[in-house]
Amino acid sequence: MAPRPARAAAALVVLLVLLATGCRERPSADGPVTLVFKHAKILGPADPVPGLLRRFEAEHPGVRVQSEALTWSSDEQHQFYVINLEGGSPPFDVMMLDVIWVPEFARAGWILDLTPFVPVAERDAHFASAIEPAVQDGRLWALPWFMNVGLLYYRKDLLAKYGLAPPRTYDELIRQVRLIQAGERDRRLDGYLWQGKQYEGGMVNVLEALWANGTRLLDETGRPFPEPERARESLAFLRSLIVSGVSPAWVTAGDEELTRRPFGDGRAIFLRSWPYALDLFELPDSRVRGRVGVAPLPRLPHGTVGAASTGGAHLAVSARTRHPALAVELMRFLTGEAAQRAMTEGAALRPSRPALYRDARLVARDPTLPALLPLILKGHPRPVTPYYLMLSTTLQPEFSAVLVGRKSPERAIRDGAAQVEHLQQSLAR
Amino acid sequence: MSDRRLGWLLLAPALALLGGLTVYPAIWVIWLSLQYRIPVFSISRWAGLAHYAFLAVDARFWSAAGVTAVFTVASVALECGLGLGMALGLRGQRHGRRAAVALLLLSWALPSVVTAKMFEWLYHPAGGLVNFLLGGRPVNWLGDPALALPSLIAADVWRTAPFVALLCYARLLTIPAELYEAAEVDGAAGVQAFARITWPLVRPILLVTLLFRTLDALRAFDLMFVLTGGGPAGTTETLTVYAYRALFQTLQVGFGSAIGVVVFALVMVVAVGYLRLIGRQEASA
Repeated sequence: MAPRPARAAAALVVLLVLLATGCRERPSADGPVTLVFKHAKILGPADPVPGLLRRFEAEHPGVRVQSEALTWSSDEQHQFYVINLEGGSPPFDVMMLDVIWVPEFARAGWILDLTPFVPVAERDAHFASAIEPAVQDGRLWALPWFMNVGLLYYRKDLLAKYGLAPPRTYDELIRQVRLIQAGERDRRLDGYLWQGKQYEGGMVNVLEALWANGTRLLDETGRPFPEPERARESLAFLRSLIVSGVSPAWVTAGDEELTRRPFGDGRAIFLRSWPYALDLFELPDSRVRGRVGVAPLPRLPHGTVGAASTGGAHLAVSARTRHPALAVELMRFLTGEAAQRAMTEGAALRPSRPALYRDARLVARDPTLPALLPLILKGHPRPVTPYYLMLSTTLQPEFSAVLVGRKSPERAIRDGAAQVEHLQQSLAR
Repeated sequence: MSDRRLGWLLLAPALALLGGLTVYPAIWVIWLSLQYRIPVFSISRWAGLAHYAFLAVDARFWSAAGVTAVFTVASVALECGLGLGMALGLRGQRHGRRAAVALLLLSWALPSVVTAKMFEWLYHPAGGLVNFLLGGRPVNWLGDPALALPSLIAADVWRTAPFVALLCYARLLTIPAELYEAAEVDGAAGVQAFARITWPLVRPILLVTLLFRTLDALRAFDLMFVLTGGGPAGTTETLTVYAYRALFQTLQVGFGSAIGVVVFALVMVVAVGYLRLIGRQEASA
């Protein structure tokens, strides 16, 4: 691909010129130190990050923290990090990472081993499902900053009208959809919306279907589809949602926003999404304000209730930082209890520290917090491996092919397993 | 200093720049494509032609090549046909030409990611304008494997047909009206005038436009990346999307480079073909 390297080369030239003309930070011993914190823009009522950074500066005289925003899309953020970290000395010290990148960055040697800096008690203050992806070979590489978990949203008013409780199994969910749709006689009221597009979110939905049926993608040895029959049932179930009309056919192109909108317009009974949608549903001008409930994801015959994927962001320190001690200090400060409290208050985010979900002041502001706690505790991280992105991009087209009816679940599992094994062999050599 | 040496000397900065910015990266990519190189796993060793051998039997690669071919032929043919039609329409228009040109420019001037986001909502099966205009039928534009690629082609045509139209329109403006008047005196009007006067004069510029559009379409990326991510079931994954996934998303630098080299070779072959065609036309003109 000619244009990308060309563009990269052009960027390099510009960078070199800038460096040569003296845009360099002075590495003096007692002069002011500047730490660069790279993170995505935080949404919500009030961005708490600038205030937190000023507080850190006040506590550390002589240290300046410069906050730099990442681009929007997760793919572009990953690309930005890869180019900068692989290329040599990155222009940042502390960085925000999507949880699925942490093992990869650790394996590549791009981030600092935090094991000597972070006491075990500090680790244990976070959700186990958030710490697990941050640990590789027994060493700690990042700390969680905020937390995400897959949820089942339901229309409280509709379920109450028909005397129903939130479904604990998918069979129940399907029965409730049929009952409510038959009673409402609204052609525009969809049943269950979820994300079936060929992208990372689609992968998450498939993983949740696997967990809901008591199986997983990789076993401890990394073998794909350890229980192929259960995996087949999970995939066949997702396809059956579309075939039977419980989910509209377009969920095969649905991502978070495309599915959130119709539910927010009152045009669906159930939705699988992340906690961010809750804040949007409760906005003053929302059509479903006060009519939305959240429940754990239902289960399939062989699984347990609430087998949802976790997600979120971690903070890590660049392995090439010139101020490791201070950078670790900043990372610990930002993932600490006080900072996470401020993040929860000011932004539409959920903390990675279970204690905050029972904090009276926070619960007063956000009454959904206590209900989220058990759901997050039951959540699973996606497969924790440095080659997760390869795994995901390899399997996404296979799963998508099942959802649109291009491949049978058996065939997709067989083809997918063969490709994953090929991938593992090429990495093992 | 001889003229010849002075000539080279004056050319040197341009050559160095071109060499540095295009030739060097191209050679570097070819070199990378001959290695197993995955920085995250500290894999870096010679692969020879192994990546190319794998591509030869890689179903995903051939699917992407097919998608790229269909997308290129369909979108470029439609864009050039519609673009020429728009240009002729514009010339025939008596009032409001300037407004029409401005409107045409608008769709071309939008960044392609913005266009893609816009089409995402236009195509939305539940609330999208397209389905609303079709009477509220929930057509699954981007999630149905049979419709996804045609939907992307339509979006690409919407975005770039105006570009073709403007170039053709500019050419049409330079055709002296006397030619048509003379033809009319000789009894040639309508279709005949188009075939004998307009077409031969527009053809060269259309060919250059065709070259631009084909090379762009062969490297199509943004629309599918934003709208479908290559799905459903990989039915909209072009070669550049596949290369991007390998190179930047999963960091298989060697393998991704091999796909890049194939795209590069494809683009070169097509470009040389077109340039020959254009050269022949100039020679005969």
